Amino acid sequence: MNRRVFWILAAAVVSLALLAWVLFGPGRHAITRQDMVEGDAIPTPTPAPEQRVMLLFPGSDGLLHPELRSVPLPAEVHEKVRTVVLEVLAGPTGNLQPVVPWTAELTAVFIDHEGTAFIDLTAPPKPLTGSHNELMLAYGLVDSILLNCPSLTSIQILFGGHEIPTLTGHLDFSRPLVLNKRFIAS
Amino acid sequence: MIDPAGTHMRKVLIASIIFLLGASLLPAQVDLHTVEFQYAGRGVLVPKLGTRIEVIPILALIGAGAEYSRAAGTYVVAYGEKRLQFTPGHKLVMVDGKLLDTMDAPVPSPGGVAASLDFIDRSLLGPLGFRLDPIPQGYRIVPGARFAEPVTVRAAAADFAATTTLVLTLDRAVIAEAESTEDGGIVVHFDDASPRLDPGTLLRSRRVRSLTSNGREILIETGADIGLLNWHNLDDPPRVILELGRVYPTPTPAPARVVERSGPPPIVIDPGHGGKDTGAVARTGLNERDLTMSVARYLSAELRARGHAVRLTREDGEGRALTDRTAIANRLEAKIFVSLHANSSTFSSVKGAETYYMSLDDQATDEAAAATAKLENEAGASSDGRSDLDLILWDLAQASALNESAGLAVAVQTRLNALLDLRDRGVKQAPFVVLTGATMPAILVEVGFLSNPTEASRLGSAEHQQALARAIATGIEAFLSEP
Ligand SMILES: [Zn+2]
Repeated sequence: MNRRVFWILAAAVVSLALLAWVLFGPGRHAITRQDMVEGDAIPTPTPAPEQRVMLLFPGSDGLLHPELRSVPLPAEVHEKVRTVVLEVLAGPTGNLQPVVPWTAELTAVFIDHEGTAFIDLTAPPKPLTGSHNELMLAYGLVDSILLNCPSLTSIQILFGGHEIPTLTGHLDFSRPLVLNKRFIAS
Repeated sequence: MIDPAGTHMRKVLIASIIFLLGASLLPAQVDLHTVEFQYAGRGVLVPKLGTRIEVIPILALIGAGAEYSRAAGTYVVAYGEKRLQFTPGHKLVMVDGKLLDTMDAPVPSPGGVAASLDFIDRSLLGPLGFRLDPIPQGYRIVPGARFAEPVTVRAAAADFAATTTLVLTLDRAVIAEAESTEDGGIVVHFDDASPRLDPGTLLRSRRVRSLTSNGREILIETGADIGLLNWHNLDDPPRVILELGRVYPTPTPAPARVVERSGPPPIVIDPGHGGKDTGAVARTGLNERDLTMSVARYLSAELRARGHAVRLTREDGEGRALTDRTAIANRLEAKIFVSLHANSSTFSSVKGAETYYMSLDDQATDEAAAATAKLENEAGASSDGRSDLDLILWDLAQASALNESAGLAVAVQTRLNALLDLRDRGVKQAPFVVLTGATMPAILVEVGFLSNPTEASRLGSAEHQQALARAIATGIEAFLSEP
């Protein structure tokens, strides 16, 4: 047993010596030290400039109608999408109807490398009906986003963190939707 | 005999040595602001900015010259015959005139430009023929790229009724194999080559979510229940052809009846909703499920009287998955598919009938047309346009099937407009689930709004339902008699 203890201590001493040599001993290589740099500088936030955005809301003729609004519009595309969606969710100011007929929150925005934005909304509290309501919701959001964020190509709407096949049993929500101007009043 | 106490002590001893030697590997973390890089017997302490490391001293260490072009905003690295360009803020590196996409972007820094270790290893040192090996103090730069020579991969997809053909065109011959992953995705392995997706690739498919290059693999994320059916390689140009489609059967509420056809191709009528799904409901209590069944029966009688074979997708009270309804029409080789619905709006004033057909989005059609024109101009100039041209022709063939649906939609809506004295409602395109994958002219007819009180009461009358059925039947006949 004594012999074992001796060997343990010996090994520990050797290891510590090795450690010290590696840490503080002269390197085998000449070292040149560059100026030290602190971590990433924190950029000062600058308020986004106010811009006119065009938001689409359903009208009494069953078509989407534009409403122009001046809002601070960030240049960064995630923030831009968020701003547009929040403005749509806030609802129309005039005689138009809300695009999303329940109190929905925007819980996430993802953008892939092909320019598809995925927006996640809180799920409807009770089932909706009618392809018309489904189309107004889909293209009210999709067209509003795409008209204000030209760098994006398509939008997929998720509900409650999930991809859904359809909302009222008509429109395909399982894939991204592209700009569809056929539902906008001319 | 083994002494258990002695065995235990030996374990403790080995653990202590491992611990102490392990601790000796930590010095790289002692200085949080620099990392040492070694190359050919020389070393340099390179400043760190968060997770990124200054790039210029590392390039200088291997003897590569890096110059910043203020006008272009890019760094040009020269090493022997190799020329490499990268731009702070951009996930792209140009190696000898070829664009490679990178996982992250380098950033401007006090020393000029800083990048992640992965970027330095894969996107800068790799193309120059080096790799990073971790050592206790930091990293040693050694010859031999970690990642094999890049191969540029251009992806194109063509969606068909039930399957999608995904074509990966490679810029050089490489052994590549595809297989399904456990989590339902697909992976393509490249032998001794690191695939880089052509940054210009814009993939449009309803079954392919995304393509990602990772090391020697391309990961393909597919839609729900979509998987790899089969794959094969083609030469000249080197390609990997993947056939994707539904891999798990969709559970259906009722055991699927064996739908077999006897006699001429039928017109398939789909009464919308069904079972527990009532669809839209009017204040009067009339619901979409029952209304569409009633109109479907009148339409069926009307068409039979005119000499057509007719099949319905569901019986009274029966539910049916949306995809099964289209599948029935496809299996019966129907000449026409008509899905009947009644609408609902939050505005009670909205009224009228509408006819929809599937949308192949404008942008995709425009892109296909532009790509065709480009390929036609380049015809003969390159052999590798052939596969793309085939794909585009397939896409255009799909578009022509949609043109037939458009013709049917116009024929039906014209009669509905005349019946209902409508002017402003008409034919529209939208990606409806029940029309997806139909291989025949297919439309969805919304016969009216149950949310409009006047229209709802009219929709409840048998005479109006018969009039709607007659108008739709006349539209169908007009379409079928078109040359
Ligand atoms: Zn419906």
